[in-house]
Amino acid sequence: MGEFVVHRVRFFDYMPSAIRAMAFNGSTQRLAVARGDGAVEILNFADNYFQEKVIPGRSDRAIEALCWVRGRLFSAGLSGEIIEYDLEKLRPRYSMEAYGGPIWTISCNSQETLLGVGCEDGTVKMFEILEEGIQFQRNLDRQKGRIISLSWHPSGAQIAAGMIDMIRIFDAETGHATHRLLVERGVGTTRNTEVVVWSVAFLSNDTVISGDSAGKVQIWDAVTGTLIRSHLITKWDVLGLSVSQVCVRVLVGVCRCHCRVSLIVSVLQDESSMIAGTSEGTVVQFQALASTMGQENNQWVRTRTFKNHTHDVRALVHTDTAVVSGGMDTQLVVRPLLDKVEKNTQESALRKILFPHKSLVCCAKKAGLLLFQFPDHLELWRLGESSAKGQAGDRLPVMKNPEKLLQLQNKGEDHICCSAVSPCGSWVAFSTVSSVRLYKLQLGNGNISIKKVSKLPKELHSVHQLCFSSDSSRLFASSAQASVVIASLDQLQCKHLHTLKPKSGSSQPIHLLSASENGNWLAAAHTDGQIHVFNLHKLKLHCTLPVYSSCPTAIAIHPTTGHLLSAHADQQVSAAAPLLSSESQTVVCSCCASVAADLRVLPEAEGVHGVEPQPAEGGAASSVAAEGHAHHTHRLQPQQAGARLPARRVHVLHHRSESGTRRASRRSVLILFSSPTAVLNSINADKINQILTV
Amino acid sequence: MKPRERSHVDDFTTLGIMVKSKRGTTTASSKKSADTEKTSETLCQGLESSDDDAPEEVTFGDSKNEALRSLKLALDSAKREKELLKEKRRKRQELFQEQKKRKLLPAEVLEEIESASLKKVKESSAAEEDEAEETKSLMKRREKKRAEKHTRNLEGNYTVTTMKGGAAVSFQQKSAEDFLQSRLYGPGRLRTTNNQMLSLQNKRGSQKSAAVQFVKKDWALQQKAKAEKLKKRWIHKLQVPS
Repeated sequence: MGEFVVHRVRFFDYMPSAIRAMAFNGSTQRLAVARGDGAVEILNFADNYFQEKVIPGRSDRAIEALCWVRGRLFSAGLSGEIIEYDLEKLRPRYSMEAYGGPIWTISCNSQETLLGVGCEDGTVKMFEILEEGIQFQRNLDRQKGRIISLSWHPSGAQIAAGMIDMIRIFDAETGHATHRLLVERGVGTTRNTEVVVWSVAFLSNDTVISGDSAGKVQIWDAVTGTLIRSHLITKWDVLGLSVSQVCVRVLVGVCRCHCRVSLIVSVLQDESSMIAGTSEGTVVQFQALASTMGQENNQWVRTRTFKNHTHDVRALVHTDTAVVSGGMDTQLVVRPLLDKVEKNTQESALRKILFPHKSLVCCAKKAGLLLFQFPDHLELWRLGESSAKGQAGDRLPVMKNPEKLLQLQNKGEDHICCSAVSPCGSWVAFSTVSSVRLYKLQLGNGNISIKKVSKLPKELHSVHQLCFSSDSSRLFASSAQASVVIASLDQLQCKHLHTLKPKSGSSQPIHLLSASENGNWLAAAHTDGQIHVFNLHKLKLHCTLPVYSSCPTAIAIHPTTGHLLSAHADQQVSAAAPLLSSESQTVVCSCCASVAADLRVLPEAEGVHGVEPQPAEGGAASSVAAEGHAHHTHRLQPQQAGARLPARRVHVLHHRSESGTRRASRRSVLILFSSPTAVLNSINADKINQILTV
Repeated sequence: MKPRERSHVDDFTTLGIMVKSKRGTTTASSKKSADTEKTSETLCQGLESSDDDAPEEVTFGDSKNEALRSLKLALDSAKREKELLKEKRRKRQELFQEQKKRKLLPAEVLEEIESASLKKVKESSAAEEDEAEETKSLMKRREKKRAEKHTRNLEGNYTVTTMKGGAAVSFQQKSAEDFLQSRLYGPGRLRTTNNQMLSLQNKRGSQKSAAVQFVKKDWALQQKAKAEKLKKRWIHKLQVPS
């Protein structure tokens, strides 16, 4: 009999949502991605493209455009409101109604003092950016027709606005429209429909580049208002444009007596590369090259075509070394440009970010239940069972199919931020931006009953992460100011016990919580890289792990030896022993694959089963890293020969079987596979549950 | 020539008759002549003996006076009519004002509200609160008469209530969404489904295989369920007698 029984679960119908808009902040190397369901994700490009923060969406919020202003994030949507986000509390800070109807675009000038929004009623509204918020300044001349796209001239004196059938150039001081550039409609039958200028870019040499729905990228002269060049790149729409920028830090020393040095970050338009995204899924790059060597007449020449997407590409962004594109096929593709990075290195590889870096599945170990988190509801499933025995590598027949026990719908429009189920399976908790809900479950023989715990302590309000203790008596919730709230769970009551606060006032949110098996320790990880370990008996901070340059993506505490294991975004797994002695030994073992997303520790095992999403080959991989010693890897191949597409992601969890002592040595391990395309999710309705033995 | 002159004179005299009849003063001679003229008019076609009479002599002064009098009469009548209308309007206005006064709050309440607002400016604490409470209580009493808290009754049969429930998507937002939808997915945009695209790839590839969704599992679900039920019932029927 093998050591583990492996469950393969394919009934998690996770549907990602389309990428609608992106904005890159060069100074902090953060990319903000707005999804179709209203969620905003922040990815840290400096840290191996790790998805640090997720601001959950709402069912009525539709974001059309994003904009970074000095580290603050603004978004605008069809609801007519400009929303500023609080990146520490992971929620909208306030929303300001622009009173112009639905807003199509938002853009800020290079001095970062004014924010321009293009509205449905044809006005371009200027908002002044203040310390605490934004304030309406004035309207530019009202036009007949909606304003679909905006772009500021780098000097801030002029604005180009793309509308339907034309582009208007405004003078930012007076507000009057100076030029009107008429865009040609398509040929043939498309001559009847109006052409929409989906995006514009204003360059510092007074040229305007526009992409429209007839498939043309056109270059205009803004001084005379004439067309310079027109490139037809596709039969369908050109949905997005992006011009490269270079972020330059300029140090300015100030007066000697104060000894103050202020750092000014100025953004210069490099303007040598421009990308256009189409409705076909191709991204076309243009570069400003001189036609003959040595001469200065730079012309925009079409150079590369990237075909990394299957559906429309709606959002494009240039970073220092790469081109980032995202669209309807929900993938984020980072393509490093080979003239900026060295060839054949880790840096120059194409990156496709498909899955969320947050764990959406929670496992109740003792009860054999799985909790799946969807944006608007939760599903609770019981795993299937098999009573047969076999050799290592055999496929066991399923005696009892997995069944869906519960679907818990969230009332209200906010999406679910985090969820957890207790190990015994009797408590389910989830939280949204506005509230936390706790339910008590009773799993009888054939029936299931659920009761809502109505009175929750008021300290549980803006929770980013939830975790139950191993004996299901305590609920741990991460709250504002990097503190952890401990609540005790009784029959149907939840009472606040204590709030754990770390010494240093770190304001970054906690994104990982892990409680030890014996109930003594709690580990909490922040998005700035710190991991705090709290002593639950003394109810105070035990130690803080050294800040590693990379953000932790998964943490776990070994039940017997007390080691703290953490997996980081740069594919390193480190084991620290802070709990036994005050000195911490960090032993770093590297794993071969990319970001680990979940860790569980098996008792009496030689080590830790790490969890990784699958690199592009095929098959499933899990690696076992022993503390401090040689590490060996086990490769599990999916036994199903007819698998159409390889598994892309593995969660390895621990499931202690409930049967008697005879099978005490046999443990079962759960593996979750998720398929990369949504098509297969809908086709694999047969919900195969396979149990493999290893 | 003669009949024409006659007709002129006829008109004049008839006008004179009309004016005079209003005033109620007549002169004998003119009356007589009016009578004879009237009778002559009635017998007009046949008899023309009255037409042979010479026209009457009316002095210039008389005619002038008559003209003036007639003008005066007209002016006076117009003035009287105006005054009558004015009276009517005044009365109506008074009636409306009375009705309005009945609708407004009693004067005492208005005074109290005014004084309350003045006192707020002058910063008094307890007295102002008391008065405010009083006015509030009065307002509440009035409000209790109404059915719901959020309704107001205007003149006529209209009520205004605040909207409850989910926020309605505004017309502008709906039209913007429709525009976006029609631009990306509307007619003229040749889009295909995942199933079609992948199936064609399967058929054109080097290893030809079946379409991705070869059997549509959700086709005629209801009919299938019905058929299942019928089958169970039939089997049960067969089993029961045996």
